[in-house]
Amino acid sequence: MPATDKITASVIQRRLFFINEQMGEAMLRTAYSQILNASRDFSTGMFDGDCRLIAQAEHIPLHVGALPFALKSVAEFFAGRIHPGDVLLLNDPYHGGNHLPDLTCFVPVFIDSREEPAFWTVNRAHQSDIGGAAPGSYNPAATDIWQEGIRITPIKLYDRGILRDDVLEMIATNVRHKSDFKGDLSAMIGAAQVGARRFEQLVHEYGLDVVTSAVDHILDSSEIQVRACIGNWRDGVYYGESFMDDDGHGTENIGVRATVTVEGDGITVDLSASDPQVTGFVNSSYANTVSSVHYAIAYLVDPQTPKNEGASRPIKVITREGTVVHPFPTAPVTMSTNHPSQEIAEAVIKALAPACPDRVMAGWGKRYRIALKGVNPRTGKPFIWHMFHARPGAGASMEADGWSNIGELASGGGLKFGPVEVMEARFPLFFHRHEFRRDSAGDGERRGGFGVTLEMKVETEEPVFSVPAGEGKYHTPYGLFGGKDGKPHMYRIIRAKDGSVRELKTKEVGVIIQPGDTLLAEAAGGGGFGDPAKRDPGARAADIADGLVSA
Amino acid sequence: MYRIGIDIGGTFTDLAAVDESGAVSIAKHPTTPADQSIGLLEGLSVLAAELELSRGELLAQTALIIHGTTVATNALLERKGARVGMLVTDGFRDVIEQREGLKPERYNVRLPPAPVLVPRALRLPVEERIRFDGSVETPLNEQSVRAGIDALKHAGVQAVAVCCAHSYANPANERRIGELLAEEMPGVHTSLSCVVLPQIKEFERFSTTVVNAFIAPVLSGYMKRLQDRLAQDGYEGEVLIMQSHGGLATIEDSVKLGAGCVLSGPAGGIAGACYAADITGVRDLITFDMGGTSSDIALIRDGEPCYSDDKTVAGTKVALPSIDIHSIGAGGGSVARVEIGGLLHVGPESAGSDPGPACYARNGERATTTDANVVLGYYDAANFLDGKISFDGAGARHVTEGIAAELDVEVIDAAAGIIRVINTQMAEGIRLVAVRAGADPRDFTLLSFGGAAGLHVTAIARMLNISRVIIPRSASVLSAWGMLATNLRYDYVRTAVNDVRSIDADLVRTLFLEMELEGRERIARSGNLIKRTDLVRSLDMRYGEQIFEISVPLKDIDLDAGDLIEQVIAAFHARHEELYSYSIPEQEVVLVNLRLSVVGVMNAMPAELPVTAAYELQPKSQRRVYLDEWADVPVYNLDVLGAGTRVSGPAVIESRTTTILLLADDHATVTGTGWLDIEVGQVAGSDARDSSHSGARLKVVGTAGG
Repeated sequence: MPATDKITASVIQRRLFFINEQMGEAMLRTAYSQILNASRDFSTGMFDGDCRLIAQAEHIPLHVGALPFALKSVAEFFAGRIHPGDVLLLNDPYHGGNHLPDLTCFVPVFIDSREEPAFWTVNRAHQSDIGGAAPGSYNPAATDIWQEGIRITPIKLYDRGILRDDVLEMIATNVRHKSDFKGDLSAMIGAAQVGARRFEQLVHEYGLDVVTSAVDHILDSSEIQVRACIGNWRDGVYYGESFMDDDGHGTENIGVRATVTVEGDGITVDLSASDPQVTGFVNSSYANTVSSVHYAIAYLVDPQTPKNEGASRPIKVITREGTVVHPFPTAPVTMSTNHPSQEIAEAVIKALAPACPDRVMAGWGKRYRIALKGVNPRTGKPFIWHMFHARPGAGASMEADGWSNIGELASGGGLKFGPVEVMEARFPLFFHRHEFRRDSAGDGERRGGFGVTLEMKVETEEPVFSVPAGEGKYHTPYGLFGGKDGKPHMYRIIRAKDGSVRELKTKEVGVIIQPGDTLLAEAAGGGGFGDPAKRDPGARAADIADGLVSA
Repeated sequence: MYRIGIDIGGTFTDLAAVDESGAVSIAKHPTTPADQSIGLLEGLSVLAAELELSRGELLAQTALIIHGTTVATNALLERKGARVGMLVTDGFRDVIEQREGLKPERYNVRLPPAPVLVPRALRLPVEERIRFDGSVETPLNEQSVRAGIDALKHAGVQAVAVCCAHSYANPANERRIGELLAEEMPGVHTSLSCVVLPQIKEFERFSTTVVNAFIAPVLSGYMKRLQDRLAQDGYEGEVLIMQSHGGLATIEDSVKLGAGCVLSGPAGGIAGACYAADITGVRDLITFDMGGTSSDIALIRDGEPCYSDDKTVAGTKVALPSIDIHSIGAGGGSVARVEIGGLLHVGPESAGSDPGPACYARNGERATTTDANVVLGYYDAANFLDGKISFDGAGARHVTEGIAAELDVEVIDAAAGIIRVINTQMAEGIRLVAVRAGADPRDFTLLSFGGAAGLHVTAIARMLNISRVIIPRSASVLSAWGMLATNLRYDYVRTAVNDVRSIDADLVRTLFLEMELEGRERIARSGNLIKRTDLVRSLDMRYGEQIFEISVPLKDIDLDAGDLIEQVIAAFHARHEELYSYSIPEQEVVLVNLRLSVVGVMNAMPAELPVTAAYELQPKSQRRVYLDEWADVPVYNLDVLGAGTRVSGPAVIESRTTTILLLADDHATVTGTGWLDIEVGQVAGSDARDSSHSGARLKVVGTAGG
């Protein structure tokens, strides 16, 4: 490529970055559901005709690595039958989805009169509900994927610009909040089309050949950056493992095992030794697994490196079918975007600790969700409340203490919880306490972040039905290089009647909370890094003065 | 009598005076960071000299000084505010550090935790608890308050933020704690959350209250010094302070609500833009203020700025209403680098003002935007930046050669490449701001100010397909000058969360009336400056399950109407439709906040004087500049171009403070007041109207059916 093209490639890279940002903004502005417009649980990306990811916006790290599988699946199914004006959908984890609630839409970009799409814009977004046995579609009782929701294999929602309203109606009828679903879906499609139009304009300005060769340059540049970083890591064959507590159906201590080979400027991650697939919904589809490995590595290299197909070239992933990280089709998977996604990333990061000690992090707290369903006595209406509070702490690194209260690894601190005052005004709930949990962080030269303690009274007049679905009650956020583990989660119900305590398991269906009972949720702290004896005495004294660490 | 506008920026203090005939005089003086009031007074001397007066004479003939200050912003940025303690409801002491569970830079997992303004050891729990409806769950335990106060005294805090849960619904406990503080810690500043921001959402309210306590002592010290210095010089007029919301407040009120001043400086620029919209009749503007480190962008629609009540300043949430100004990390000092993969990046890192660009001859070693502009020949080497900064053209070339070597191109191509990349960033940054607001940039005119903007603005307009650019004559002092055309303004908020159908219309009327009386009383104190008082009412509302409210203006709604609530509901659906292109009439609608702005409209400022009779169009020289190839283009002196003059590109137009580059097919016309009104040559093609900016959705999918 002639040298002057580097500057054009630089300009086009900026343009691609901003097109993605604009897709994200269009989505934020138009989405209906709180999970999208407030918690931003969606991702946008752009691909070329060969299904190579060429740009993505900084949304949900886990989504991004799985998108190419989904696009390939769609492009192969409809090979030779994709036309301008088409909009395609998919959510099935066995066709490149993460889990069923993550619905993906695809808009092809046609240039001139070519028969095949030259580019694609893609938008993956977490739906509030996708059907199945449990409201919100997290069903700990599920033993196969059909119990988790509606499976959408590659379909066309628009065919040459014409809405297939029969298809839309069929899908919308299979989810619980039909109008929310339709609102969110049109926001997703609208955002992807914003991207497609801006893409067309870019190609119009520069010509297809220039944009195509600029894309090659952009991908190569990311590859070079990642390889340069990995090239500084110590060569060797390393091993790391991480465990889930259980699958909710009797299998405990489910292991993800990674053998990681660093050779020159490339990495091979072999997950074949992971445990067999399990009955409950903590299996991870192949696409979700590869994606988890990719964000683990993205966390370790320079955060500024653009995440695209080039950045993933130095990473090879090996799995064995029949394991928890590559189940045979139809195993349930809904929990996998948190767990075992986090365990997969952790096994890789722990393995690489000796290779790049200045880049790895100690363990982050795990996801523990709980949903309450009951009747609000102030309005007489039913309510469903999803807890985003009581977040765990992040793990420490060589450079810094961990952040308190920012949650789980797969979201990287991007998931917001709602104001307590608004919660109290809207729901029959009373928050006695929502504060950092003393002594929860793992000690170390750098300590972990603190988890949060939530003490919340349920002020209904009728019993409330609760669904806990989480991880990390037994397996603690790990310490590194002599740093201590963080404390694990502890979730309890304190009965108003007699003060007795009901400890919650990680996965249960239908725990009844009586009026006046208190939920005491104590979230895990992050793991520590390095020898605690080397901790700066001033920092230690400050933690004691702050009342966060016992003297 | 004069009115004087004073805008203190990081480098320069800009001053503008206008007399009763409308004649504007301007002055510029270096800012004195240690105590800005020193530079301000010196600047007044320079301004007086322009008018052939002494400073005392000028002040004696001045009725009003309007001042935009960065004292509050800098205190926050540099973490140089008061030592603050918090008294906070037991169970809620970590709210300001929890930050709603968010961390910036998602992929940067080794980022150190952000520091907080009040360490946990000084966030002391108080036993009390109000419920969401204002009822008392736990009465205030004064013993716990006194214990907290003792600890804060011992720690030597200079200010206290009092933050109780649901205090917007019942402020009694906060007020009582305030009384105890006044008894026990007289002289220590106290900020109550129910006073600073009486609205629901604890993180926003607590954080804003802490910022207020952090800033107040610093701001009050500065204001006192300023008043003293002005009084020493015999000034007897009024001093009003520019607020983040674009209006003005007295010194007394500004010190009480210091958190409302954190965007005082940039708000002045937007005030200037609004004034520009007024006098040019161009009502839809995108302001583009290009500085050294960053560029500020704001939208003016129908002459009014856009507001936000969700600003994060220096990593800290300040939830008071403020003009929505977006900063992008691209400016004249942005540093160019070639990353290891071979691509060129410019910014966000900046060479700042020290060492600054290599061409500043202060040993800058990295190529910047400004250096690239030098290599391309755009600047007057003999009179660089009005001679205020020494010039090293060879230095600029040398650092740009470094970039050229890494890219393996000629130095001139590297320079042109740097400009292409930075222009792309600024143009796309502007587009993103427009998309966020649901606007299409092509419907706007670019208003360009800031000394560095003129060389980039026509290229950026092309990238955005914007056909018109306006450059005010006093572009570099637009802020100071715009402040002169601003109004007094006080903002109020009350929270009343409920399904709107179960809210009594009389409650709405009573809350608005309460706020109105309070506002009218404050405005009355500056009665001599005020022509009339306007009221701007709005409601924050949302659909039941959403957590973001939208602002619903009540402009056309009569509060006394019998069907007030029905009208409000209809207005909400209409507004939602307008913003998001859908509404859900069957869904429950929730009212959250009532807002009132009480605006004291000031006596009109005389319009700017027309420029003197037309001069002949005469280029002062020719300059060899690079525009895809080297070309000799005419250079005009902006200060002597007569009204109605038309200059066609390629050309350079210069004044003491700015350099403007016209590209081929650009046509600039000098307006009656000496401004440049530029018709931008269009990019070939790509003029198809796309609806990507309006957030258009597929109606057919819509939300019909349930």
